[in-house]
Amino acid sequence: MNPVEATRLALESIWANRLRSFLTLFGVIVGIASIIATIAVIQGLNQYVADKLSNLGRGVFTVQRFGIITNRKDFLDAIRRNRHLDREDARAVAEYVAGAEQVAWQVRSTADLEREGQELRSVEVDGVTPAILEIEPFEVADGRILLPFEDQRAVPVAFIGNDVKEQLFPGIDPIGKELRVRGTPLTVVGVATKKGSLFGMSQDSFVKIPYSVHRKIYGSDRSVRLSVQVREGEQMEAVMDEVRSVLRGRHHLRPGDEDDFAIVTAEGINNLWSSLTSTIFAVALFVVGISLVVGGIVIMNIMLVSVIERTREIGVRKAVGARQRDIVQQFLIEAVLLSCLGGAIGTVLAFGAAAGLQAVGFPASFPLWAPPVAFVLCTGIGVVFGIAPARRAAGLDPIEALRTE
Amino acid sequence: MSTPPVIRTLGLTREFAMGSTTVRALRGVDLVIARGEYVAIMGPSGSGKSTLMNLIGCLDTPTEGEYWLNGQPVADLSPDQLARIRNREIGFVFQSFNLLARASALRNVELPLIYGGVSPKERRERAAEALRQVDLVDRMDHRPNELSGGQRQRVSIARALVTQPALLLADEPTGNLDSKTSHEIMALFRHLSEQGNTIVLVTHERDIAEHARRVVTIRDGLVASDEAMVAAPPPPHAEGGAAAAGAPA
Repeated sequence: MNPVEATRLALESIWANRLRSFLTLFGVIVGIASIIATIAVIQGLNQYVADKLSNLGRGVFTVQRFGIITNRKDFLDAIRRNRHLDREDARAVAEYVAGAEQVAWQVRSTADLEREGQELRSVEVDGVTPAILEIEPFEVADGRILLPFEDQRAVPVAFIGNDVKEQLFPGIDPIGKELRVRGTPLTVVGVATKKGSLFGMSQDSFVKIPYSVHRKIYGSDRSVRLSVQVREGEQMEAVMDEVRSVLRGRHHLRPGDEDDFAIVTAEGINNLWSSLTSTIFAVALFVVGISLVVGGIVIMNIMLVSVIERTREIGVRKAVGARQRDIVQQFLIEAVLLSCLGGAIGTVLAFGAAAGLQAVGFPASFPLWAPPVAFVLCTGIGVVFGIAPARRAAGLDPIEALRTE
Repeated sequence: MSTPPVIRTLGLTREFAMGSTTVRALRGVDLVIARGEYVAIMGPSGSGKSTLMNLIGCLDTPTEGEYWLNGQPVADLSPDQLARIRNREIGFVFQSFNLLARASALRNVELPLIYGGVSPKERRERAAEALRQVDLVDRMDHRPNELSGGQRQRVSIARALVTQPALLLADEPTGNLDSKTSHEIMALFRHLSEQGNTIVLVTHERDIAEHARRVVTIRDGLVASDEAMVAAPPPPHAEGGAAAAGAPA
């Protein structure tokens, strides 16, 4: 019998038992859907992280009180050991590190904003040295970014995100208008281009003010985060060493003492991210592997049931001239089609899930290689778990089979 | 040039192991059936007639003895070779029709041609032609459950005829039918016989067997009697076959 004929036969059989077929496929559907969805999410996150890191810019590293800390003990050690990084530290780095093109710093806080009796709660208010807006580029939709002299002279101005504009200045041009942080009036000089939301959180809800102004409002007991842009032609490692020796000197560390600050590079973040996602991926693969094996066993089971139910049919087919391989082919194609149908449904579900995540602002990207891989995987499952039932069917004695009720 | 007989067996023996004992279902059957003959094989249950039918139908192979079907020795063939022989040389008609429930009459009749590797177009034409021979052209898109018992058996006869086999082998073809329908089916067999088909009918009913031109009775694994029916004139090629069959005491 030719494969086209066998395929048609298998489809008829699957369709005739469609509810059972669908239930049979559940394991494969869930397995394929979850692996593709996992890949979509990881791929989306990778893309996001890569974008963010390229935003950070080539040749930029940050210095902060706490580095990337992945366990509780390190965190407690760091709290005990690490001193605040203050403005004097930052100024020292800016002054003495020859390999640095630009040194900028910022400090973060959260505040309620106020304008003519209106209030906007829990907005990120960052005190920045204006250079940071160039190192971590912000596109300007309206007005301008902060200027260096505004930091030097503590001019009370603000560069705001799109959300703040829309919520505090609906239908009004905010440039030149005032808003208040803890009672301090600030004049809006610029609005950033809308960035949209990520993980369901808006990236446009911020106010950037000069560091010196922030210090007046909040005091000086907060650690700053430095961003150091390496001068062209300089080795990043060498510049990091310069920064390290300046800060160690200021903090009076002895040789052999650990650094009481952390230097974070894009590469470091990337490495951490890769190890994190590859762990997630390995775990997901393992779980999905189990569900695919279970799915395969269910298919095998239902095919065995099907062989028993159709014993008489097999007898008839053999009586009229079906050879063993015709019968093997028929049942194997049926198992493979079942499995691939499950894979197809799973792929569609995963696609839907990825689209749904994208719609709510989660960075998911559907991997285009997933459908062919799912197809190959499902064909494999169908063959591996279909061969035993198919052999059993082919091995039936036609006389016995015809006698079966 | 003389054509070989459709069936020639020599000392056909079939034993089955039943636990520690061996049951000899057939104990040396010599049988010759010529082209165009219409033969009934009769016998009570346990006589070995079903075993003989399975051997004749190439569904089983003998423990000992020789069997030539349409001139080819088939006693020692592999399962797949037997499948090929069944496909080309034999058309089965079963007591319980054995049609595929989900397939139309036409699809059922096409089935042997599918395994014979016939192209879809030719298959359809030949299946329709076979259904025309059993007068069921207007029912060819119906499924078995939409047909009466007699119609179902006619579909199964069409399926047996469609490959133009050397032998039509019918196992109790009227066993599941009422007497009126039984007569219609027997009339159809008679008609097919008159057209030159070689037919072997296995039955335990005397009045069904008497529709044939020759009745071979099996008892205890041997041919007990082999008689020509007086009512019907023997077909032109039948003489040699009848003479060759043994008749023990």
